[in-house]
Amino acid sequence: MRTTCPYCGVGCQVEPRLREGRIVEVRGAEIPPNHGALCVKGRFGLDFPFSKKRLLYPMVRESRQEPFRRVSWEEALDHAARKLLEVLQRKGPKALAVFPSAKTTNEEVYLAQKLARALLGTNHVDHCSRLCHSSSTAALSRSLGGASMTNPIEDIWKTDLFLVVGSNTTETHPVIGAMIKKRVRQGARLLVVDPRYTGMAEAATLWLRPRPGTDLFLFNAMARYILEEGLWDQEYVKERTEGFAEWQASLDPYTLEEAERLTGVEKEKIALAARLYATTERAGAYWAMGLTQHTKGTATVQALVNLALLTGKVGREGAGLNPLRGQNNVQGAGDMGGLPDVFPGYLKVSDVTARRRFEALWGVSLNPEPGLRMTEVFAAIPEVEALYLIGEDPVTSEPYQDHLKAKLEALPFLIVQDILENETTPFAHVVLPAASFLEKDGTFTNTDRRVQRVRKILDPPGEARPDWWITRELGKRLAQALGRPWTLHPGPEAIWEEIRRAVPEMMGGITYRRLEEQGVRWPCPQEDHPGEAVLFRQRFNTPSGKARFIPVHFTPPAETPSEEYPLVLSTGRVLYHWHGGTLSRNSRLQEAYPELKVEVNPKDAQRLGIGDGEPIQVVSRRGRIRARAWVTDRTPEGVVYAPFHFAEAPANRLTQDALDPISRIPEYKVAAVRLEKLD
Amino acid sequence: MRLKVNGQEREAQEGTLLLDLVEVPTLCHHPHTETKGLCRLCLVEVGGRLVPACATEAQEGMEVRTDTEGLRALRRTLLEWLALATDLSQAPSLLELLEAHQGQPQRWGGLGLTRKEREPIRDNPFFLRDYAKCVNCRRCVDACGDGIMGVYALTLEDRGLLAHPTTPLDRPLPETPCVFCGNCIQVCPTGALRPLSMEV
Repeated sequence: MRTTCPYCGVGCQVEPRLREGRIVEVRGAEIPPNHGALCVKGRFGLDFPFSKKRLLYPMVRESRQEPFRRVSWEEALDHAARKLLEVLQRKGPKALAVFPSAKTTNEEVYLAQKLARALLGTNHVDHCSRLCHSSSTAALSRSLGGASMTNPIEDIWKTDLFLVVGSNTTETHPVIGAMIKKRVRQGARLLVVDPRYTGMAEAATLWLRPRPGTDLFLFNAMARYILEEGLWDQEYVKERTEGFAEWQASLDPYTLEEAERLTGVEKEKIALAARLYATTERAGAYWAMGLTQHTKGTATVQALVNLALLTGKVGREGAGLNPLRGQNNVQGAGDMGGLPDVFPGYLKVSDVTARRRFEALWGVSLNPEPGLRMTEVFAAIPEVEALYLIGEDPVTSEPYQDHLKAKLEALPFLIVQDILENETTPFAHVVLPAASFLEKDGTFTNTDRRVQRVRKILDPPGEARPDWWITRELGKRLAQALGRPWTLHPGPEAIWEEIRRAVPEMMGGITYRRLEEQGVRWPCPQEDHPGEAVLFRQRFNTPSGKARFIPVHFTPPAETPSEEYPLVLSTGRVLYHWHGGTLSRNSRLQEAYPELKVEVNPKDAQRLGIGDGEPIQVVSRRGRIRARAWVTDRTPEGVVYAPFHFAEAPANRLTQDALDPISRIPEYKVAAVRLEKLD
Repeated sequence: MRLKVNGQEREAQEGTLLLDLVEVPTLCHHPHTETKGLCRLCLVEVGGRLVPACATEAQEGMEVRTDTEGLRALRRTLLEWLALATDLSQAPSLLELLEAHQGQPQRWGGLGLTRKEREPIRDNPFFLRDYAKCVNCRRCVDACGDGIMGVYALTLEDRGLLAHPTTPLDRPLPETPCVFCGNCIQVCPTGALRPLSMEV
């Protein structure tokens, strides 16, 4: 039976073969987007649903000092509803927040945000993409009026130049990484901008290695050079954009000489990269967390957007602006309104027309004030008193872990709904066991906007239930007490039908029947519509239909190295693991990569007397973790790199909670640290 | 364009492979790995010459024969030799093909050199390489290299009956650039590469 891989945003179609309730083999389906190919996670890492750490029964406790008590679903849901209502009556909707997850289905995210908005009256709704691509979402929305990949994955085969920035594609989106590398073998050029020597850098035609956190300067310098050399697309800029003059004037300080001094990249290389990007018609930009997870994440993505507009790359085949989305359903979680300021379909909660649409559909009046973003909700504890977490593990994923733990300690009421016990479960008052992707129906939307089916292949273990069922049942209790309407959908397809009615311009043409064969991309307004591949061919989604240039300026990271903390820590992922590690470390993948290895440049290692494989401690102003040193020139001198998958040595104990002013994403990619030898 | 297959008129688009036009067995050909022209099972006769259908494009006026006595004998022999050299127990489609061609491997006596004695190699947590079952189709090498991944952790060593896929310098997989994507397993037609999870 075919379903969708639950790891990254590529959305590979997988065919797990089961024998006696165990996965014996996983094959890639011979359809888009992966055409049979898979990576190690999809091929060998789908066995986490069989982990001993599965949450099997609903559990409740009055306070964190007590042990959990196994209870019936009735009791758990009644209790959870009563507690939420208590907070609502005492402190109003501002004291409640609901976090759906980019790992759950579209139907489940839709229902969770509907519960928050239509029943609890709060717009404190957010999900984990706050921590990954919120900077991209902000920059793309401001400039283009849309926040997704502009081009489909298939366009890789039509692209003549790839500009890959801050994306370790071969490890984080391996199937796309392999496609790009293959296209390069066919003759396309690959420009890679990354401080680390990744698999992409290895395959690159030209590799630029800027100092961490200086990409913005680099892009602005490239733009200035392209303007000077007259390599820009004057007609495109005139016809399709606005704000050019003001932006052009803002580029004055960004000379190649300054760029070389600041980024550490030779100016000839910057000029060559600019020339190649500007003069290749089918040039596509791809990026990920390396750009976004900075205090100037939004500004940096904006600088890249400006560069693409200057050279006329958006709205054309084989080109475009392509943020590689992380979680399997990050795109869908945003599309479904899992965000504080928008309803499903990115319709603003502050907009009266949008509000009327959803008020009519849900039969309630709605709160016009945008809610707090995830990072802000945690900061607002204990003003925020109750949190309904679905498939999220903030203790592992949020920055500055000790601070976050103290916040959760102070939180009066926490519902954790998840499939596996994780680092956040010990802070819960109510634990609701959910069904994994193998055990339920629904849809995920992949990185290039393709809505694809998730299919139930197994029964959930114990008393675990699909997230949609749990949210529906909780909603039923809240609705009864509040006297508000709440639809009791019989299953995911019925929820999807409501979504089609909610955002017909986006999803109206996508039916479960159509999805039987293969996924369909939104926007897809009618059933005979094939689904849009390339966005913005004619006009942008802004009121004027034109894309906006927005000037952005370089600022240094929030924390720079000092005598006491002389190195820069960058965090990220490795091929064998996934985010907080809850899934991958409960699967066969754990055997291949069992413990934290921190990349240390040979020069730093020599200076500090650290040998390859030696145990060390990484220390920041916020805490310390134990790791094994991997001495390698993958990381540049002065920079250490730590994956954040390891709960026993959490990189996020070290990171800082300095936030981007617009997207509120934390600066995961730059923290000042020192290394200490362990004997 | 028009061409003749076994005396019958056929229409074909420019660039069509003969393999897509005619019914012949194939083993090595795989659209994603781009492997072709190795196993010789899909040989057809074009104007008296033998050509692999998986590596030959249809051309105007071509006269293709797929089922001559000579071709049948050739396919039967090829399949018999595969069965002699290799353990086909996990390759049901090849066994079916052998039966359909009334193959009798025994009629050749024993082969001096076979792969059947090779021990499976377990050097990683994910899959094993059981080269006793390998028919040298090369798909795994191509999937790992140019065809899909561009990783080149697998390579073909030696020639003729000694030819076999392995890693560069015969290193254990974890010491190669292998990323354990398992695309080699997916394209392997004989079960020579298979997930460890199947072994329980």
